[in-house]
Amino acid sequence: MKARLSIVRSSARSGFLALWVLAAAFPFAWMALISLRTPVDAFAQPPKLFAPVTFAHFYQIWVVDGFWHQAINSLVVTVGTVGVSLSIGCLAAYALARYRGAAGFWLLMVALVFRAMPHVVLLTAYKPAFFQLGLWDRYETLIVVLVAINQPFTIWMLRSFFVNIPAELDEAALVDGCTRLQAFWRVIMPVMWPGVITAGLFSFLLAYNDYLISSQLMNGDHMTMTAALSNYMNANDDAVKLLNGIAGAVSVCIPLIFLILFFQRQIVAGLVQGAVKG
Amino acid sequence: MNRRSFAGFVAPSVLAMLLLILLPLLGTAWLSLHESYVKTELAEVQTSVPLFGGMSRVEVRRVPQAVRDAAGIPVRVWNFVGLDNYANVLSLDRLRQALVTLSDATPGWGWQFYRDVTSIEFWGALEFSLLYIAATTPCVLLLGFAIALAVDATSRRVRGALIFASLLPFIITPVVGALSIYWLFLDNAVVNAALQGLGFAKFYFLSGAVPIRALIVLYGVWHATPFAFVVLYAGLQTLPQDALEAALVDGATAWQRLRFVIVPHLAPLFAFVGLIHVMDAYRVFEPVLVFGSNLYANSLQYMTYRILNSEDNYSKAAAASLLTVLGIVVLLIPILRRLWRERQAA
Repeated sequence: MKARLSIVRSSARSGFLALWVLAAAFPFAWMALISLRTPVDAFAQPPKLFAPVTFAHFYQIWVVDGFWHQAINSLVVTVGTVGVSLSIGCLAAYALARYRGAAGFWLLMVALVFRAMPHVVLLTAYKPAFFQLGLWDRYETLIVVLVAINQPFTIWMLRSFFVNIPAELDEAALVDGCTRLQAFWRVIMPVMWPGVITAGLFSFLLAYNDYLISSQLMNGDHMTMTAALSNYMNANDDAVKLLNGIAGAVSVCIPLIFLILFFQRQIVAGLVQGAVKG
Repeated sequence: MNRRSFAGFVAPSVLAMLLLILLPLLGTAWLSLHESYVKTELAEVQTSVPLFGGMSRVEVRRVPQAVRDAAGIPVRVWNFVGLDNYANVLSLDRLRQALVTLSDATPGWGWQFYRDVTSIEFWGALEFSLLYIAATTPCVLLLGFAIALAVDATSRRVRGALIFASLLPFIITPVVGALSIYWLFLDNAVVNAALQGLGFAKFYFLSGAVPIRALIVLYGVWHATPFAFVVLYAGLQTLPQDALEAALVDGATAWQRLRFVIVPHLAPLFAFVGLIHVMDAYRVFEPVLVFGSNLYANSLQYMTYRILNSEDNYSKAAAASLLTVLGIVVLLIPILRRLWRERQAA
């Protein structure tokens, strides 16, 4: 009786998990499948599981529409954002983990409020200001803005990693005659790499996934891939254009899928870090 | 660490936040209290209108033209207007009108009043933002917990693959995720084809407020559940084994162990995930952009985006922005107070 119950229970569990995995992956899988088809096959009634493969839509957007421009933009912007974010974020987070004064606490509180701020609030001020200052449509502007928006999250996350590193380590280094900066760079950073990689992944995701800021501050040729997808939206009545948009969306997904494949452990660690270490 | 080296270490990060978060916030506040227009003057324009036989008549008209400065850029005038922009965003006049119709108490006046108020853009956006938070938060927590329990009970070999698939909706670009769901529900796409294959009538998901709102909520749950799952799953790995064994020895059923050992142990994590989700849900933007038009569903962040782009009205957008920030502060006060008390205690 008991064995029977546990079989029922474990098959219900497997069924539930199968259903969840299907729900999680199906939209992407279907998008990938459709992007490789001619319009007739893609929207056939009833839907076909197998159809001839064509790369016409990928050719159209990457070569004809010049999506590779946007890919390069995405690369420049994400690399720049991750690099600057981590450099200034590590310095600040290290200090926040070691300083005991009230200023550190207030800085973290303000950062928490900033982290919750909808980005469009800042955009309202950026738009007229950057236009006046002639900073429109430049990589540096977008990178600096994304770095700043990302800072609150980055310093909270990095701080939680620095707190885990025993303070005796820097004290020993200071006793041995290191300055604070030397202790930070020579003693603490070498053991911080797991935290830096995790925070870097999340900075990357923010910069790469951002749609709002990039689509508003950059003009066509300088947009990132994500923002450039707006060109293909709202094309429901034009099957070819719709499929080009789907091919673009699939292209945006591919680097992220590799990212999850290689860094699954670090992503999970980063998500959990905030929960256990506040 | 002493004060001076602390200041040195945090300086670059603080400078970035001051210049690009705090200063813009103050700028937005300034914008919200002002109104701008391009200064114009009446200029005389002479045109010669051809008549017949080679004759022409000179016409002088007075046309409003932008005043330009030395560099040829139109001069913009900024006027202090007090809280006018806020009254504009909140549509106080229409609100008052709704209150006036409230006075003749007919059956169903409550519902009518609610409809009147939420048909105003700001209140409608606030309504759907709150609906979105209220609908997604419990679903995300429950579904995430259920998946965490199920994954925790499966064999270790498949867990990696399960976590990989589960991370997809959360990690992949929100715009792309929303589009991928949207494309499934197009009138001629796979969901409708499947419905018809099963003998149901075709359902137009994208042409009514209720189905579109339901789809946006569905997307929200789908997108945020992986986060709840990962955090709660990590929590399950740290369960106090002795308490579970004691419960087992005492003859507790699976449900009792869940209710009296596992859930209390995970309570702080539920609170954490819930708070983060409420914060993120409050600024929902991408699914509204993809699914909607502000006719069917609107959110506070999307509304500001629309005012900024379609109306091109910085002052009104600024007022809408600050009202949104006010909401954030209200949402965060309990958390901030708790952190403050923890610090006092330490």
